[in-house]
Amino acid sequence: MKTKKQFKWFTIFEYEKEQDYLREMHKAGWKFIKVKFGIYYFEKCTPQDVVYQLDYNEDGLKYKDEYLKMFDDCGWEYIQDYIGYSYFRKAVAAVDGVAEEIFCDEESRLQMMQRALKGRMLPLLVIFFATLLPLFLINLLSTHNYVITSIIGGILVWYIVIFAMCFVKYNQYKNKK
Amino acid sequence: MDQHIKKVYVPMTETAFFILLCLRKPNHGYGIVQMVEKMTDGCIKLTPGTMYGSLSKMEKDKVIRFVREEDKRKSYQITDLGLEVLQIELKRIERLYKIAKEEM
Repeated sequence: MKTKKQFKWFTIFEYEKEQDYLREMHKAGWKFIKVKFGIYYFEKCTPQDVVYQLDYNEDGLKYKDEYLKMFDDCGWEYIQDYIGYSYFRKAVAAVDGVAEEIFCDEESRLQMMQRALKGRMLPLLVIFFATLLPLFLINLLSTHNYVITSIIGGILVWYIVIFAMCFVKYNQYKNKK
Repeated sequence: MDQHIKKVYVPMTETAFFILLCLRKPNHGYGIVQMVEKMTDGCIKLTPGTMYGSLSKMEKDKVIRFVREEDKRKSYQITDLGLEVLQIELKRIERLYKIAKEEM
């Protein structure tokens, strides 16, 4: 079986881009097998229009059997979980050609993003305030170790950029809908 | 009724409305999806991401309650609070409909 690997990086709010990417790959005859550390694995297949959808639901991961059952009942094939996201796919119906989605109203879609934001950003915030920031201040103000200070400072700036980007994207999304 | 419930359920999403309406009798998520499709002649197809998220949220809000699990499908039923918000929503829709009819 011919396979293919591709490295791709999607932030938590780029799940739509990620879904489109997987759909395009399937259309081009590459069926998505799994993703690990940002590497997407594909297997050669007959080109087909298959919709890929990502959900972020901690309850779903906790009560996995019934969660997957609901998707299975509705005709969605489960592929895997990856850092909190669950991957599903479903072939576009040949009859009407309508691409189904796993969310049918904006409110539940927004709630999914809120869960993703909370689940993925909160741990980062904790690390930020409990470890990085104190470490930075200690090195800057008391030990005067400027090499370490600038390294940690760099990480801090990087963190702040990520937070800001997420905040902006979330607001854009919220206002768009 | 507390402010949170009022804010979320008055008015409520179509999804929440159908869930409450269908859960006057115990049913599971996929059962509701099928019921709604039938009731609306296929116009409204509820989807699993929305259904799963809504059901767990509505259970936390205590407008529906868990009844039993069968074959990995969780069944729920409407609570008194759920019935109350459903009635308020029905009245609201009725009022809108009446106004529109008089105006048009």
